[in-house]
Amino acid sequence: MSVDLLIDGLLGLGMIVLALQVVSERTVLRSIILFVVFGLVMALAWTRLQAPDLALAEAAIGAGVTGALMMMAWRRLLIINPEHSADTPRGRSAVAIPVALLSTALVATIGLSALNIEPHIDTAGRVALDEMTDTGLGNPVTGVLLLFRNLDTLLEMAVLLIALLGARAISAPARPEEAAVVETTTPLVGALLATLVPLSILIATHLLLAGTNEPGGAFQAGAVLAAGGVALVLTARLQPAKRPGLATQLAVTAGLLAFVGIGVGIMAFGETLLALPGTWAVYLIETAMMVSIGLTLALLFAGAPALVGRRA
Amino acid sequence: MSQILGLAVLFLLLNLVAGLWRVARGPTAADRMLAALLFGSTTVAVLLIMAEWMAMPALRSVALLFVMLAGIVTIAFFGLPADEDER
Repeated sequence: MSVDLLIDGLLGLGMIVLALQVVSERTVLRSIILFVVFGLVMALAWTRLQAPDLALAEAAIGAGVTGALMMMAWRRLLIINPEHSADTPRGRSAVAIPVALLSTALVATIGLSALNIEPHIDTAGRVALDEMTDTGLGNPVTGVLLLFRNLDTLLEMAVLLIALLGARAISAPARPEEAAVVETTTPLVGALLATLVPLSILIATHLLLAGTNEPGGAFQAGAVLAAGGVALVLTARLQPAKRPGLATQLAVTAGLLAFVGIGVGIMAFGETLLALPGTWAVYLIETAMMVSIGLTLALLFAGAPALVGRRA
Repeated sequence: MSQILGLAVLFLLLNLVAGLWRVARGPTAADRMLAALLFGSTTVAVLLIMAEWMAMPALRSVALLFVMLAGIVTIAFFGLPADEDER
């Protein structure tokens, strides 16, 4: 058992050291690289905590898409303000230490009070696990997300849509040359994309289908799909467009439409609101959600209302 | 057998610590990025062994994801201006 302890200790210590380095590095680029590494270690920590669903989400969103997004944001900042790179190493903000102390106190208070809580037997999680056998779903996380607490999931989809609309309202669409980082003529790019993009579609489909019975699901699958889209945006295979077409608008709202459509439509048959009628409804909604999440993240990444294929 | 797998995970994690030294030291941004990618590859190995060791086959999906995302992050890193230490 001491091997377990050593592994967990190493992971915990590694995360603290990495977190300190991320915030104390002298340049932005180093912090971003360390953040990606931190995401990897975080995903390992989630697997040690028996939470593969969270490990998937952390790997896809925390390490992958966010890392790429921050590199992209930094690049665009340098385009807007070329002198910025010179003064990138900033001094520490005056509020840094008070904020750090306050957060430490908050975490310590929560941690100490959590130690004194009596473990409950009849938690909501226990009730959900007991009910799982009647649902036909094998993955309790999917069960909670789409059956037991599906109003939360529905609202999360709405939040994602609002985030996209908000970003569209405050930012001017990026020019095509700002979105792409790689010269489109670089010979290896085509070969890399030919592997990467089909792989992202394959993994996304696998995660979506696996999601009903084992770890996976619409959110992770959507993030993987978005990663494939991000690769296409970065290499200028997809370019920002001014106006979203009907297909884009439908795809972005598909998750919400399918969820509300089935959830409200079921009331015509005398069921309660959002009482999903069976596994087929879960599959349908998850697929629509995957498409919406994937496209929304890719659009947020590109900073554009729509994407079009590169004109030859 | 289970003990051997645990020790293998521990050994790979110690490798990660060594890789971390390179991420921290650099000296160029590309060195750091390559070390981060090496980190990713080693993490894949850790996940594959853990899938056996902890009897969680789903960890193989996580490993698959890591392999794919390494490619995306590399494309994003490509063409970024150099760290100022290199100038």
